[in-house]
Amino acid sequence: MSKVSVIKAEPRSKLGSHSSQKSRKNGMLPGVVYGHKKEAMAISVPAAEFLQMFRHGSHLFELQMGEQTETVLVKAVQYDYLGTNMIHVDFSRVDLTERVKVSVPVILRGTPVGTQSGGVLQQVMMDVEIECVVTDIPEQIRANVSKLGLDESLYTKDLELPAGAKLVDDPEAIVASVSEIAEAVEAAPGEEGAAEPEVISKGKEVEGEEGAEEK
Amino acid sequence: MAMMPKRVKYRKFHKGRIHGKATRGNTVAYGEFGLQTLEAGRITAQQIEAGRMAATHYLRREGRVFIRIFPHTSYTGKPLEVRMGKGKGEVVGWIAKVKPGTVLFEIGGVPEETAKAAFSRVAQKMPVMVRFVTRQHTV
Repeated sequence: MSKVSVIKAEPRSKLGSHSSQKSRKNGMLPGVVYGHKKEAMAISVPAAEFLQMFRHGSHLFELQMGEQTETVLVKAVQYDYLGTNMIHVDFSRVDLTERVKVSVPVILRGTPVGTQSGGVLQQVMMDVEIECVVTDIPEQIRANVSKLGLDESLYTKDLELPAGAKLVDDPEAIVASVSEIAEAVEAAPGEEGAAEPEVISKGKEVEGEEGAEEK
Repeated sequence: MAMMPKRVKYRKFHKGRIHGKATRGNTVAYGEFGLQTLEAGRITAQQIEAGRMAATHYLRREGRVFIRIFPHTSYTGKPLEVRMGKGKGEVVGWIAKVKPGTVLFEIGGVPEETAKAAFSRVAQKMPVMVRFVTRQHTV
């Protein structure tokens, strides 16, 4: 369950990618606060401190900006092209009694029975969207798949949600399934390189050919 | 059999240069683990196939291998002992152009140790520097 983590934030007066890069170099993480029909506000939070809290499962924060405080929920995070460094964070203003829609990771537990008869467990849906009170957001939803046989699936309606939480996603959506994987047919050695892609013919080519024939 | 497009508008391409970083196809989307390139490069259809075979042979039908790149671009070559000029050579093969950050392969349905071992074999077949990545939960 989420608890409110307190973090200091500074309003950003200079916007744009150049000043954001500068603030990242100074150990700050650029972000934005929006919601509750108030104006969006560009802020920055200490990167190391925020990352530590975020990686330990904190999604609900109390931003302290001088005398002003705001209770916010992490709405989105952006990573760099390699997916290693966080470059931006979106905060949404919330009340502690408010119900919000969030996506929570689904963690599968156990080895399915179907894997003994040649099946492979595939997790199709990694996150499930639920609606719950902002203070009751679970870190993850665990699902036991040990009873899944071959060609059987686990649906979102089968997931055990925490008390008070409501499923937003389609209840018939498949979360994980156990199925046999068809073996790829390997081509004979002589076949390789024989085929060439079909060229989508254009009017120009046809005209050229006709012209050549006339000459 | 090595991958190639079924239909193309033009058979021959300019070589071009690969600029920038991957802004799409840079996260693990289908499996749980992925192999991500750290540099830009041209990966031939044969190298992709070699990577796929290395992974599937190691996994022995245990998990599932996903190929995230496709060789859309052809490359040409001239025969041996032919003077320069007289037009562009014939199509010799097909390549996938990748930017740093692109996820090349993914594996699902196996433990992390198995996926790591399979990807270390795939990495040997790749002409670019790669690294092992795991799926990240988006908020």
